[in-house]
Amino acid sequence: MASRRRGIGAIDKSRIDKAKFAAKGTEIADLQLSHIAGQLETFKKHLEEFASKHKNEIRKNPEFRNHFQQMCARIGVDPLASSKGFWAQTLGVGDFYYELGVQIIEICLATRERNGGLMTFEELKKHVTKSGSKTRQDVSEEDLARAIKKLRVLGGGFTVIPVGGRRLVQSVPGELNMDHTAVLQKAESTAFISKSVLINELKWSEVRAQSVLDHLVREGMAWIDDQASDGERLYWFPGLFETRG
Amino acid sequence: MAVEQSLSRALASFQWPWQYEFPPFFTLQTNLDTRNKQMDAWCDLTLAYYRHIKAFTMDVNEAQSSPLFNNSKANRKLSVDFIRLILDTLEKRGNVEWQDTSKSRCLIMWRSPQEWGQLIYQWACDQGLGSSVCTLYEIHSGEYATEQEFYNMEPWMVKKAIVALAREGKAEYIPGTAPDDSDAGVKFFT
Repeated sequence: MASRRRGIGAIDKSRIDKAKFAAKGTEIADLQLSHIAGQLETFKKHLEEFASKHKNEIRKNPEFRNHFQQMCARIGVDPLASSKGFWAQTLGVGDFYYELGVQIIEICLATRERNGGLMTFEELKKHVTKSGSKTRQDVSEEDLARAIKKLRVLGGGFTVIPVGGRRLVQSVPGELNMDHTAVLQKAESTAFISKSVLINELKWSEVRAQSVLDHLVREGMAWIDDQASDGERLYWFPGLFETRG
Repeated sequence: MAVEQSLSRALASFQWPWQYEFPPFFTLQTNLDTRNKQMDAWCDLTLAYYRHIKAFTMDVNEAQSSPLFNNSKANRKLSVDFIRLILDTLEKRGNVEWQDTSKSRCLIMWRSPQEWGQLIYQWACDQGLGSSVCTLYEIHSGEYATEQEFYNMEPWMVKKAIVALAREGKAEYIPGTAPDDSDAGVKFFT
């Protein structure tokens, strides 16, 4: 029967062991951390080199730009965070989205008269591309979404609403709740909706359907049409309505 | 129908606004902001249409079936009440003058009398008509005015333009002796 050490000595010994283990642990952790930090540093350096080297590509090619954004996001770098700092200075990427954001605001303001502050991404893109500037020719919907996200710091007003396979930008303050977006989703392909469709397809009560439609009319996002062939009032969305040319 | 043919030919080059294809444009809107936008667009469209076809008078009942207020492709049209509402708004803006109290006919001035006056005055100066008398007929149908925008303009509009010029001291209106004033004249001060 092996004797076990007891008494003060034993306690001291275990305390010392613990401290030793802890020290070793910290040492290993430090080592690992510095190793990882070193790796990250190297990666960041490579990323920066890569970015400087492909600066023009990043500015011009939307697909390339998107991949680059994702790569940066993975290591916690946001080249869009500000227009100052290394990334913006080397790339001018911050400026790119900043300028695009300003342009989006201008377009939304100019077309609000027509669409009541609701616009499809396709339409927005058409306007951005029309502006004539060369770097604007290859703006993707991803770029638009990113620029709009940046606009949120300016306070409410700019929101992206997904409807079906498309996206809408809402440029007027005013909450659209789930019911409102459900109506937009239903109207997405035809640009109009009727109360009976909401009642039949979404299984809404008449009161609910009517109040949602009334809200959209009140917000100036929907127009009423009393000349449909079956006599039921239709609600049209100018923001979803595409015209020729 | 020669008239309809020439109208559709004239309209082939007309730029319809996007709203013309938008079905609710033909229903009076309940939201006041939206309704104001709608009314502005109808006023602009009405004047642009009349300017394009170079017409100056409207019979409200006939207008109901004209392409302006009746989009047969979209199967939407304006009611007589709606048309009167547009014309009343245009009257307030100085572009329309009702010709009867029942509001069935009106004059449409897509240019104000002052604007027409200015154009005619410029033409008179270019023609060297200063201080000589010419008839209103020479202005709207004369051989020297064929290139002008006011060529073929209705006589009442020419008269209004001259009266506006007279008010500015740039011309004198000389009433005619015929009962319908068809031989009226004008003296330009250049």
